[in-house]
Amino acid sequence: MKADQEKASNKRASNRIVWITLLVFLVVPHIISTPLATEIMIYGLFALGFNLLLGYTGILSFGHAAYFGVGCYGCGMAVRYFGLSIWEGLFISLVLGALLAAIIGVLAIRKRGVYFAMISMAVAQMFYFLALSPLKKWTGGEDGLKFIPKLSLTFPFQVDLQSPFPLYYFVYFIVGVSLLAIWRILNSPFGRLLQAIRENEERTIASGYNVTMAKFISLVFSGLFSALAGGLFFVYLGYGPLQTLYWLTSGTILLMTILGGMHTFIGPIVGVAAFLFLQNKFSWIMERWQLVVGIMFIALILIFPEGIVGTIKSKYLARKTAGQEAEPREANE
Amino acid sequence: MKKSSWIIGSVFLFTLMLSGVASAKPIAALLFPLSGPFSAMGTDMKQGSEVALEEINAKGGVLGQKAEVVMGDDEFQAPIAIRKYKEMVDGQGIKAIGGTLSGGISVAVNEWACKNKVLYMCFCHSSIPLGKEQCGYGFVSGMIPYQTGVATAKYAFQNLGKSWMIITQDYRFGTDELAAWLTVSEKTGGKFLGNIYSPLGQVDYSAHIPKIAATNPEILVLNVYGQSLDAIIKQLAEAGLTNKKMKFVIPKSHLYAIKAVGATYNENFYGGHEYYWTLQEKFPKAKKFIEAYGKKYGMPPSQDADGGYTGTRALLEAMNAAKTTTDVAKLVKTLEGFKMDYNKGVEEFRACDHIRATSVVIVKGIGAKAKDWNFGEVVAEYPASETLESCENNKKDVPYGAVKLPGK
Amino acid sequence: MELTPTLIINQMLFGLALGAVYILMACGLTIIFGLLDVVNFAHGTFYMLGAFAAFVVVSLFGNFWIGLASAIILVGLIGWVAETFLIKPLYGKDPLYPLMLTFGLSLAVTDLMRGIFGTIGRIVPLPQVFSGSLMWEGIFIPKYRVFIIFLTLGVLIFLWYFFKKTNLGMIIRAATRDSLMVRTLGINVPRIWTFGFALGVGLAGLAGAVNSTIQSALPDMGVEITVECFVVVVIGGLGSLGGAILGGLIIGQVISFVSLLASDWSNVAIFITMLLILLVRTRGLFGEAGRL
Repeated sequence: MKADQEKASNKRASNRIVWITLLVFLVVPHIISTPLATEIMIYGLFALGFNLLLGYTGILSFGHAAYFGVGCYGCGMAVRYFGLSIWEGLFISLVLGALLAAIIGVLAIRKRGVYFAMISMAVAQMFYFLALSPLKKWTGGEDGLKFIPKLSLTFPFQVDLQSPFPLYYFVYFIVGVSLLAIWRILNSPFGRLLQAIRENEERTIASGYNVTMAKFISLVFSGLFSALAGGLFFVYLGYGPLQTLYWLTSGTILLMTILGGMHTFIGPIVGVAAFLFLQNKFSWIMERWQLVVGIMFIALILIFPEGIVGTIKSKYLARKTAGQEAEPREANE
Repeated sequence: MKKSSWIIGSVFLFTLMLSGVASAKPIAALLFPLSGPFSAMGTDMKQGSEVALEEINAKGGVLGQKAEVVMGDDEFQAPIAIRKYKEMVDGQGIKAIGGTLSGGISVAVNEWACKNKVLYMCFCHSSIPLGKEQCGYGFVSGMIPYQTGVATAKYAFQNLGKSWMIITQDYRFGTDELAAWLTVSEKTGGKFLGNIYSPLGQVDYSAHIPKIAATNPEILVLNVYGQSLDAIIKQLAEAGLTNKKMKFVIPKSHLYAIKAVGATYNENFYGGHEYYWTLQEKFPKAKKFIEAYGKKYGMPPSQDADGGYTGTRALLEAMNAAKTTTDVAKLVKTLEGFKMDYNKGVEEFRACDHIRATSVVIVKGIGAKAKDWNFGEVVAEYPASETLESCENNKKDVPYGAVKLPGK
Repeated sequence: MELTPTLIINQMLFGLALGAVYILMACGLTIIFGLLDVVNFAHGTFYMLGAFAAFVVVSLFGNFWIGLASAIILVGLIGWVAETFLIKPLYGKDPLYPLMLTFGLSLAVTDLMRGIFGTIGRIVPLPQVFSGSLMWEGIFIPKYRVFIIFLTLGVLIFLWYFFKKTNLGMIIRAATRDSLMVRTLGINVPRIWTFGFALGVGLAGLAGAVNSTIQSALPDMGVEITVECFVVVVIGGLGSLGGAILGGLIIGQVISFVSLLASDWSNVAIFITMLLILLVRTRGLFGEAGRL
């Protein structure tokens, strides 16, 4: 009985986290700079998608920039070369991301963790070089995808995406819906299956589950949401940069996810916010930002592998089980 | 737990709000790559801008007040540049921005600036004045890429020989130089023997050396930049080709490239530069700049520093002349045809396409005789009239945009 | 362009010289992986450190050979320290942790070097004895490239001898297969791992020092070579030295010929090669499983 009650209250608590997050980000652009807030939303979605694979399924991809970049260029090319609307462009990003993930899944999902990491990195590099040189007539090469008309929404009502606030709330809407979708996925039996795979793959296989298929689907969802984030990035910039495909983007999303806490749901978004905020502040005043990032990464892996949210959560759990029931139960994130 | 989380939350929000508090109101935002692989040149550009800012403030500032200009790091990435410019423009009401080192980033920023009606002063070699890129809000205090190709090609065919071969770095700047060379070659009777494309980031040219040796052109054009330039020069030396009859021409050379290869950069090497500091002999007004720069930074200014200096100084002087820091239309009008007499004699921003009409300097290497920062001997200077196309041509991006480039 | 036999032979020779450097790097990666189960994402960083070690030593002492030797030793020492303090604490955890750590290490060290040495390339002068090329009937190869090929050959012979014939080498091979058993025999296995890591990165440092004369020493020079090494190792099969050698040879030739025939694909070609080989033989050409 008590265990069920606890489980239910934890679930309510975690539900609360999602709504609190959505509420916080409703007002955030009025507190910090709007472009920064928009980027936090976009990279937050990217990180959530990435963490579906890393934190929940236990698979490390070192080439997630491929999805982000393909989503970005996909939306951009749809708008520039085919005159499609933003909605259609974003849909294309989504589809391309899922497709690419499916292809990579077919090639590599059965491989051991380290192999998958290296292969995913190599595939992403390949896309980077493809966009840089042989395909530069369409991608713009190192200049990126330019000559994009002023972006706006016409359906369901007129939104001028050049202004900071309308742009933010549009991004917020898409990210919010996606966040709820990912939340539903991870809180379903499928989500629990993924976690089982992460914890003990052999036992899960022994229990009769089709682990390969589960991993494959996880990868496809991961690619889908990461690519959607890429599409949003294009809308935000009004331009498609080559950096989206660069290996540093893959590394950065990994860092942000771990910083926030890869074994929590909301951790990745917290990590994104913390990282981008720091980057913005610090790189106005110092040049050795990458050194700081590298050291942060090392420190995290060695000392705080559970990240900000994860460490707070485990501290809270430790206090709770040490017998301190003085406060009402509320999850702390 | 509840109480402490409230405390933490409010502290967090408070810090966030503090971050929005600005000090004096800045009138312009400049970004350069201050970190990452090109930080040396980005820092030069920033330093040039700082010298200009100090000079202006010493003479009374802008509109009677000390001018505040925000200078930051774009990490050589367009998305970061755009984010920071957005913050400055949306958040702080700045209407004039400047920078950067990369031509590729500059055209992306330029497109953004046009959509947001912000004045953009680009300090580097950029294609902003050409064809579709020019949308009215961008100015260039560097030069158009083809100019340096035209100057070096003209010099080469006049003085070094007729048969030529070229290695082209496969990106826009490289293909622009290639187009310029092909055009000049046709006009002045050059004999084109072949082109090799080199992907960005290539540092091993060993695969191409046999072909170069076999073709044996009088002139080898090293149309590659950054690490690639250092590498190819060293590998040509390694293969024994730099001490023979072949002459090497680099459309856009750099103090740092020469420094990185040292004595290998001998009398067979010729490079195009937008600025070379020994020009102070010819243009005494530059002495003040070079002295101030040298005192502050311990070395003479490179061409990037000149680009930053000229662009920043012109922008601030234009603000004074137009009596505004925020009326972009007025600033644009003022800068069109704006006359400057800074480091290279009298120059101006052309009204029709916003390019600074400046010269290209040809510098010949001196090998082991290089001392301190003097790595070369200025052998020619081509004024804008000999390298810059007419406004109409730039608008249509001819002739260089229309050149059929050799296949891959 | 016409593919004369001379041209083909020249390209093959250059491909061999290119491949030699990749072989050195890939062997280092393989040793580290075979022994420690760690994929060293900072391998290119150690390559870069080797180039700078050579630069510093040659600037101080003027002798190229001392520079080369110092590069191996210095980089090996740095590897020793890195493994002891940064990677050892992670043994027993998910193997993805050391991978992520080495990635962070590569970011930090690269930027640290930018801070110390700046971003202008540093010269390591080529010794006079190597300048110029060997030429015969139109076949043409710079002397230095010949040196690189023979150096790599020498290193490979040394490694073969070391692993097959010396005590330490045999202990390492045993530890690769069954570290628990080796430990039970009273051997300090963690020390062996540290040594293995140092040896692996020492090879990377040697590669960097070797290349420092023909490129300039720059903090960013190691950035792309890490991924290229991964490609070599994935093609050859992770954990097999034979695979590392074969992979290196293949990649060298691919880069050489694609540069000649379709130069704007030369960066992409190695990845396409990797994908094709993976489609056919999913474990790489020599398979896997800790064979040294």
